[in-house]
Amino acid sequence: MIDLERFELKNGLRVIFHQDTTSPIAVVNLMYDVGARDEDPNRTGFAHLFEHLMFGGSANIPNYDSPLQEAGGECNAFTNNDITNYYDTLPVQNLETAFWLESDRMLELAFTPKSLEVQRSVVIEEFKQRYLNQPYGDVWLELRPLIYRSHPYQWATIGKNIEHIAEASMEEVKDFFYRHYGPQNAVLVVGGNTTLEEVKRLSEKWFGDIPQREKYERQIEPEPPQTEFRSKVIQRDVPANAIYMAFRMGNRMSDEHYLGDLTSDILSAGTSSRMYNELVVRTRLFSNISAYITAGWEDGLFVVSGQLSDGVSREQAEEAIWVELKKMLDPMKDPKELMKVKNKFKTSKIFSEQSLMNRVLKVAFFELMGTLDQIDDELNRYDAITEQQLQAFAVKTFRKENNSTLFVEKTNG
Amino acid sequence: MDRTIAPEYQQAQGVELKFPKEIQLQNGVMLYHFDEVKDESVKLEVSWGAGTKYQSKILQSAFTNKLLLSGTAHKTAQEISEEIDFYGGYFQKNIDKDHAGLTIYGLTETIQPIFQIVMNALQYCVVPEAELQKEVDIALNGFRIESEKVKTLCQRKFGQLLFGADSPYGMVAEESDFHSIKREDLVDYLRTHYWENQPTLFLCGKVDDDFIQELQRWSAGFDQLKKESVVQLDKQEVGVIHQEQEGAIQSAIRIGRQMFDKKHPDYFSFQLLNTIFGGYFGSRLMANIREDKGYTYGIGAGLAVLEDASYFFVSTEVGVDVRTKAIDEVFHEIERLQNEPISEEELDRVKNYMYGEFLRQSDGPLAMMECFKNIHFNKLPLSYYNDFFRAIQETSSKKLQELAKKYLKKEELIVVSVG
Repeated sequence: MIDLERFELKNGLRVIFHQDTTSPIAVVNLMYDVGARDEDPNRTGFAHLFEHLMFGGSANIPNYDSPLQEAGGECNAFTNNDITNYYDTLPVQNLETAFWLESDRMLELAFTPKSLEVQRSVVIEEFKQRYLNQPYGDVWLELRPLIYRSHPYQWATIGKNIEHIAEASMEEVKDFFYRHYGPQNAVLVVGGNTTLEEVKRLSEKWFGDIPQREKYERQIEPEPPQTEFRSKVIQRDVPANAIYMAFRMGNRMSDEHYLGDLTSDILSAGTSSRMYNELVVRTRLFSNISAYITAGWEDGLFVVSGQLSDGVSREQAEEAIWVELKKMLDPMKDPKELMKVKNKFKTSKIFSEQSLMNRVLKVAFFELMGTLDQIDDELNRYDAITEQQLQAFAVKTFRKENNSTLFVEKTNG
Repeated sequence: MDRTIAPEYQQAQGVELKFPKEIQLQNGVMLYHFDEVKDESVKLEVSWGAGTKYQSKILQSAFTNKLLLSGTAHKTAQEISEEIDFYGGYFQKNIDKDHAGLTIYGLTETIQPIFQIVMNALQYCVVPEAELQKEVDIALNGFRIESEKVKTLCQRKFGQLLFGADSPYGMVAEESDFHSIKREDLVDYLRTHYWENQPTLFLCGKVDDDFIQELQRWSAGFDQLKKESVVQLDKQEVGVIHQEQEGAIQSAIRIGRQMFDKKHPDYFSFQLLNTIFGGYFGSRLMANIREDKGYTYGIGAGLAVLEDASYFFVSTEVGVDVRTKAIDEVFHEIERLQNEPISEEELDRVKNYMYGEFLRQSDGPLAMMECFKNIHFNKLPLSYYNDFFRAIQETSSKKLQELAKKYLKKEELIVVSVG
């Protein structure tokens, strides 16, 4: 049972304390309830651009990083389609420094033109480096709109294109801040060798006087279930043809999440997995193959992706993947197969929980999802999964009408 | 409440490291065991002097490592993998220029059977031809993808110019090399550099006496001494080399030179200088080239230490149109370090940041074991991290300026760019 104490400030900020007496380092994690899903379709990439701007100085503190470094600390952040997360790690004696910094930028950003100008360029370079200048880098920019026709998941966190980022104005930036960054929209998780009294004191001292802003009510229409097969081919300068097959499934909080997770393990986790042995080792149709889930909070995807070996046609490759997917509808020949993925999950969970940062992040996720009371249930949920449930998941998920496929064709020369 | 005033903070006082117990197994095989672990996790790393510098043919070491668990006369690679998985075990193959081996992950109650399966597979490995072909295809595919990236091409070129294209440290494979590697090459290397070579074991976790006995029995199989090999170094190239890459939207840049090892009297102070220059998010390079000019998503500098060589490097990817400007800015920052004393304020801030880094890098048993491996492989004293801490405390701004003048001379650096 993870050691947790939870309380709320008057302004709506949720605070959770996780005590860990073994580490000299404390972790302060602030997760905001805003992600790419909350963007205007004509102003995408904003939540991520904003994450960068949050390091550009706040009303009372011109530079975020320096005072934190001075206190022996380090910080980072990430944005995805669902949330934006900021975390600081520093010697536990200096915990107050992180409270001071995080609270000031929640109170008010500095909003300097220079900061916007520079971070725009930095994000544009990131777009190039990670998505445009890498082989297969823009695959998801092409696949998402095929799957999601109306839902905001149709664009990636980096944005639909560079122009949206290049054209962002200061007014839009300020508007975004006041709409999404406020105590009522955030969860603060503190982990380390300190006490609940101290965490309460620091929370009240630094966050207590931040005014509650208007609670952002998310109103996103769910993407309707898919009813027909969708397909797209793109040409890119890549060394091998590749295929990406996506199937709609339940979101992170659903039972399907766990079923999909174990299914993807059975299919492609490690060198004993089905797809690896059939498609890479035995038939050599692929040089690599991977099955995984996206765990979106609004909607989930089960994805199979791989690179085709030379001379293998698209039809052969697709057919081979479908055969493996359809096998999941049949009863399992070996009961050890399900046991092994459950045992592997147990081992990896224990290793993962060694890290204070991982534990703190997990708490923040569960609180913001509204399922903190289920945080200790993970192992049981995986353990309780039966073969029959996996079969039912396969029947429901692995259907042509539920599938969007992207094929990347390599251009010559 | 005045939010402009920073809360008080304390400076770290030193590094509190714990070290593993040293246990001598049979035939001089050393086991280092860290057992103060509060959960059931067990990690065992088995390391041999079998890195790429030992090979007599390019790719020989890498492919032998890939095929360590590729099958025996009685079990296929898949069967071996199934057995390990059934116990909830994980394994990783590790290789760099100096060391190669395996890491096994399990729990207190499962580590022994996992170990037995893995070591049985290793001891009786027959390197099946089909497995080799499969690994060659996978690796070649990965190689082709990597070869399209300016960053990779730049790294390869940098290594070749720094150490020499024929040197074990500078050597880079070509596509044809993937087709020349033969099963016999691997069978040979497996024998000489794994079976007939002495490993070192690093164990983190609670285990019972039975498992230690298992390791004792296993170590009896190694009756050879450790393989040795020292890479001879040539003088490096200097100057500016650019390779155009059609269609690239970013240029990768590497700047650097050969340097000294961790025992050198200037090592600690140079690390402080490097951190200020390019070793953390607020560095001179980041503040200028990313945060001020917006030329890049990331830029950094470091000192990489291998067994027989080391090098200083600056590394980044920038927009193609700002490549020469970015390089100019790097040299501008070097000149500043040489000509302007670093302020006490900046110096203190970076020192404090580094003290925090020491804490982060020694947080927990796995991290402490990594610190110990560093001491062990580089033959450093146990006081190394505290010596480091004290040296940082004592290094002055004046000393840093001297170091910058001595080691960062433009004419002694190589500048490589691709894109």
